[in-house]
Amino acid sequence: MSEEKPYRRLESQDLLQQIAFRHGLEAMAASEEGRLAWVTSGFPVEIPVAMDVFPTYPEQAGAIVGASKIGPEVCGFAEDLGYSQELCSYARASIGSTDRPDDTAMGARPTPQALLACNNICGTVLKWYDAISEMTNAPVFLLDTPPLEREQLPHHRAYVRRGVDRLVEFLADTFNTKLENEKATKVADLSSQAIRLWTKVLKACANKPSPLNCADRFLTMAPVVSSRGMEHCVEFYEALLAEVEERVKGGVGAIRDEQTRLLWDNIPPWFTLRFFNQLAARGVGFPADTYTHAWSGAVEGSDIASILDGVVDVYSNVYLNKGLEAKVDKMCELIKDYDLDGFVMFSVRSCKRYSLGQLVSKEMVTERTGVPGVVIEGDMVDSRLFNEAQVQTRVDALLEMFV
Amino acid sequence: MSEGTLGIGIDVGSTTTKGVLIDTSGKILASHLQNTGASALKAVEQLLEQLSTESGVDPSDCPIIGTGYGRSIVELAYKTVTEITCHSIGVHSINSEIRLLIDVGGQDSKVIRIGRNGRPETFSLQDKCSAGTGRFLEVMARVLEVSMDELGPLAMESKSPCSISNTCTVFAESEVVGRIGSGDRPADIAAGVHLSMAAKIASLSRQVGVAAPVGITGGVALNPAFRHYLSKQLGQELWVPENPQLTGALGAALIALRGQNE
Repeated sequence: MSEEKPYRRLESQDLLQQIAFRHGLEAMAASEEGRLAWVTSGFPVEIPVAMDVFPTYPEQAGAIVGASKIGPEVCGFAEDLGYSQELCSYARASIGSTDRPDDTAMGARPTPQALLACNNICGTVLKWYDAISEMTNAPVFLLDTPPLEREQLPHHRAYVRRGVDRLVEFLADTFNTKLENEKATKVADLSSQAIRLWTKVLKACANKPSPLNCADRFLTMAPVVSSRGMEHCVEFYEALLAEVEERVKGGVGAIRDEQTRLLWDNIPPWFTLRFFNQLAARGVGFPADTYTHAWSGAVEGSDIASILDGVVDVYSNVYLNKGLEAKVDKMCELIKDYDLDGFVMFSVRSCKRYSLGQLVSKEMVTERTGVPGVVIEGDMVDSRLFNEAQVQTRVDALLEMFV
Repeated sequence: MSEGTLGIGIDVGSTTTKGVLIDTSGKILASHLQNTGASALKAVEQLLEQLSTESGVDPSDCPIIGTGYGRSIVELAYKTVTEITCHSIGVHSINSEIRLLIDVGGQDSKVIRIGRNGRPETFSLQDKCSAGTGRFLEVMARVLEVSMDELGPLAMESKSPCSISNTCTVFAESEVVGRIGSGDRPADIAAGVHLSMAAKIASLSRQVGVAAPVGITGGVALNPAFRHYLSKQLGQELWVPENPQLTGALGAALIALRGQNE
């Protein structure tokens, strides 16, 4: 037997690999059939899925580029075209891999027939998709969801709803398809089921020890991002939830000796998920994070009109489309509900929308919860921006506060 | 001598490597400071030899804690602890009143809020950029053709400091060259350099929250002009220990002795 690792492997990971493989093949087939759309992670994907347009996610491709440790190289392809190193590394990885697909193992996406961007996650997506549009000739559709500071007001809701209606028209015109009631309700139902299962999986992590660690959730979130509204997505989360519940029942943790429970804020450094595993060896686990909790809104509805209203509500209210106060509330809630000892905020150079305000929110969270936190700096794909020794000192100093 | 009655702390910094050997009461039996140079490993070996010569104690008989950016290189250390915790504990052992500690080293600076138990409560580190570190002053001393020891006293002669940008060492250097070219007095330029750096550190301190009394350590704490301008910026008196460069190593030695952090 090999040496026992400080963390446990999920059996559901095998299923996950199958799904990822299948999703890749389906995307290729859809591209050949002229019905592939690239979509941003916060896009109401239920609508294209219900209209038989297959979605694929450049952000996920960016994560794969990062995890394959070819981030600097692929981002470099975009930099060779003149794009700044300051541009989001998901955008650079996407533009770079589109320019040189043969040099980007696994990272390049099949040619799209449409580019669907929603600015509820950031404003960069529009310019990024414009650049891809120039390279591929696929048209861009922008769903504009103005940021929400507090409750969504009626005029705001009406504005986003007009955008959603235009999206339906755009897809109908571009792909010669239409949104039908039966398919729409089925897709919305499948999407809600997947979200509800995923939410249960996340909530199970409040148990001690937590059945999943950060890296587990970062990997198993893939289907809820990319395959909402599809049957295999529900099947995957049924299997994952069963495994998680089994772990909880047996008191089996994601890491073998959970001593310290921390919150993770922001996208992970995909090129060094071993960061979490090294901490696992020291008894440090992350039962919750703000990133994977972002996919939590279920689109409910019994007919097209109510589904589209649901879309407006869910996709306007995503984590990154709200103000600092909402982010602080969420972090405090997670620290309380998951009984966490402290938090690590990853300041991601690429993602201004996620990282701006972290120094202030760090203070606010500590003030309200009484638990200490630390800000570390780096990037999710571009490992050139991640200084391991500096990160280590900060995290070690945080852990020393718990002694 | 039996294990546990003595403790050694070794602080491998970017510019200097420091070592402290203490007895069971916390009294310093030997201490040494030397340049880290190109080989941190060699610096640590030499340091241990020096501590051994000074005290007559064989270091391999003592528990050792390594700290500082090169902490993992201290082979004899049974454990490493970050400089943030070590400085906190070291300073607390000398002056338990200190609530905010500002440590300005050769290539980084840190601000630590110390709890009543002597452990850090929160901290902020500046290690991405040389502005606001000892390196900034080294560069400016070279341009002004004075030694590091002379730079602070030179600045104290000024009555009207020049205005120098605090954003970047490279740009600030160009500004200093420009000031020299326009005939400004070296003392005023030197004072401007210190003022600019003090503003940077004061801003880092406010990030953590200024809580009195405030202490300052690290090599830059020895510079009177920096202390003067930082004190003015923060509106606080600054306490400086007798050996401001040794507090990290002292904290490490205390942890080794007490078996803290176990």
